[in-house]
Amino acid sequence: MSTFELLMQGFGVALQPINLLMAFIGSVLGTAIGVLPGIGPALTIALLMPVTTQLEPASAFIMFAGILYGAMYGGSTTSILLNTPGESGSMMTALEGNQMARRGRGAAALATAAIGSFIAGTIGTILLSFVAPSVSELAFIFGPQDYFALMILSFTTISVVLGNSRLRGMIAVTIGLGLGVIGIDAQTGQSRMTFGSLDLLDGIPFTIVLVSLFAVGEIMFVASRSLARTEGTNPLKGGIWMTREDWKRSWKPWLRGTALGFPIGVLPAGGSEIPTFLSYAVEKRLSKHPEEFGSGAIEGVAGPEAANNAAAAGILVPLLTLGLPTSATSAILLSAFQGYGLQPGPLLFVNNAQLVWGLIASLYIGNLMLIVLNLPLAGVWVRLLMIPRPQLYAGIMIFALVGVWGLSTSWFDLLLMFLMGLLGFVMRVYDFPTAPVLIGLILGPMAEQQLRRALAISQGDPSTLVATPISASLLAIAVLILVGPPLFRYLAGRGRPARGRSALATPDSNPAQ
Amino acid sequence: MIKRDASMRPWWLPGGVVAFGLVLLYGAAQLGQSDNYSRIGPGLFVTVIGIALVGLGIALAVQIARGMSFAPSDSEGADTEGPTKLGPFLTAVAATAAPLVLMQPAGFPVTASVVFAGVARAFGSTQPFFDLAIGAVLGVLAWFFFAWLGVNLGPFFPLLKGF
Repeated sequence: MSTFELLMQGFGVALQPINLLMAFIGSVLGTAIGVLPGIGPALTIALLMPVTTQLEPASAFIMFAGILYGAMYGGSTTSILLNTPGESGSMMTALEGNQMARRGRGAAALATAAIGSFIAGTIGTILLSFVAPSVSELAFIFGPQDYFALMILSFTTISVVLGNSRLRGMIAVTIGLGLGVIGIDAQTGQSRMTFGSLDLLDGIPFTIVLVSLFAVGEIMFVASRSLARTEGTNPLKGGIWMTREDWKRSWKPWLRGTALGFPIGVLPAGGSEIPTFLSYAVEKRLSKHPEEFGSGAIEGVAGPEAANNAAAAGILVPLLTLGLPTSATSAILLSAFQGYGLQPGPLLFVNNAQLVWGLIASLYIGNLMLIVLNLPLAGVWVRLLMIPRPQLYAGIMIFALVGVWGLSTSWFDLLLMFLMGLLGFVMRVYDFPTAPVLIGLILGPMAEQQLRRALAISQGDPSTLVATPISASLLAIAVLILVGPPLFRYLAGRGRPARGRSALATPDSNPAQ
Repeated sequence: MIKRDASMRPWWLPGGVVAFGLVLLYGAAQLGQSDNYSRIGPGLFVTVIGIALVGLGIALAVQIARGMSFAPSDSEGADTEGPTKLGPFLTAVAATAAPLVLMQPAGFPVTASVVFAGVARAFGSTQPFFDLAIGAVLGVLAWFFFAWLGVNLGPFFPLLKGF
């Protein structure tokens, strides 16, 4: 069956009333959490995990996809009107967007962000529809050693790219790997690292780690250093719509942002932040009015907003075709798939075509819903921020509690939540990235399984790990990423201490300093 | 950036990383490192991670010895320049620990009410009764909403059983 026919079948699934309702709920929730600080798409999906026991897989994933896309839209609204990016992917939008709002061009900034998001999201979804099936065909030729190499590459890129320090990123990934081995070993049935505790037999639940690191740790951290002042909203005034000039200056950045965002989202190097930095830099370089950057250049809103939405579509490619999560959000989606007993990967496209294509089709519909929800209603969403911060964070904590307690009403889970929350606090104080912990936790057992499978096939010969061209080159890239930059720096700067700053650090990855 | 003197160096941080590594190595030592079939047993992966953590912990200690400073991560609404405010921090910690003692005897709505008021207090709210009330309402709504969705949040008010 052709991709087009499969997609049409997918629309058949996505257009069922229950699934339309789920897409709508997801879009509304996603926009709301994109607007609110301290809560992102990964956390929201984690908190909704208990609900999945009651929903069909297709309906649940359609809702989750709406949350993923919606957060990208919502994040831009607060960046522009309040200079507080609700999502890390919207940090660059705040730079120019908020300046535009201060100059009374807030409406135009919101419009170029929403339309750019829509165009990039739609193009990204089209690319997903046609790229994913061929990647999944490709995935059939992947042997266990190739998967293992891919995961090693994923660990290294994630520890290098996320956060400001390569060493601290690696520590975070390894802590995640360490947490991942707790519980019953899937291959031999032996219990590992449980020290006689029955509660640890099932392992450390991914949802609890995510909720605790992201919500509980964040609450402790922000409470310990909260600011008395709050920023005022920039009123929505001035030219309600984009002028002809604005359109002329926006359409190229939209397309360039999409071109940057989608491929980077696909790469196992994670997330939607990096393409937004790149897009901003590119637009600044190419602009005919570079002097406007910093004081409200529309290109600086259009490009990064398109980039983060295209990246959101991009991260679904490795997730659906290889089962490889590249960001915290796709890690929780993978965990949801596992909760349904589904393993994303090439077989998913064969065995669960209805689910996959229903999900992809719902992305087109969700995008349409989101632009309707966001363009005229931006002012309404901002009202959400009128909730006073003490009650807002207290409310987030209650939902974290529902997410943890609702899993299995276990006292031990509450203890884990508390301890992981403290870990999240410490990691924030000392600037360790938290997302690599989650990637390590979910990918670790998969990597181990592939490693042992590969070694079983080769009867214990470790050279099998580099025996295929794919595995050899993936591992070579991983080594290069790890030792390349420090080596280069050493050769270039002889003897100057490296200070643990990543050479790949993105231009704005260190705003605090 | 504030210059920190040597006494502020967080040696316990690499200490914790190394300790976690050692725990893994200890646990791994009790597992088979290899078996006859795949030549790699349930313990090997654990051993490798343990060694990696010890090594990374030592590397972190070296960085700290060289005088590396840590800038807290940037978070919305957080004053990352200032020091930790101990009072609000401890209040938040107490609020997140409260479910450990409250959840089983008092049930979800009561716990939610207390946790809500605690976190709000940590963020500077000065209306404890108002917060307790909102927390209780949220807790009750969440309990019924999730019960309707089929998610079990435990007994509603276990204290009642005593009467």
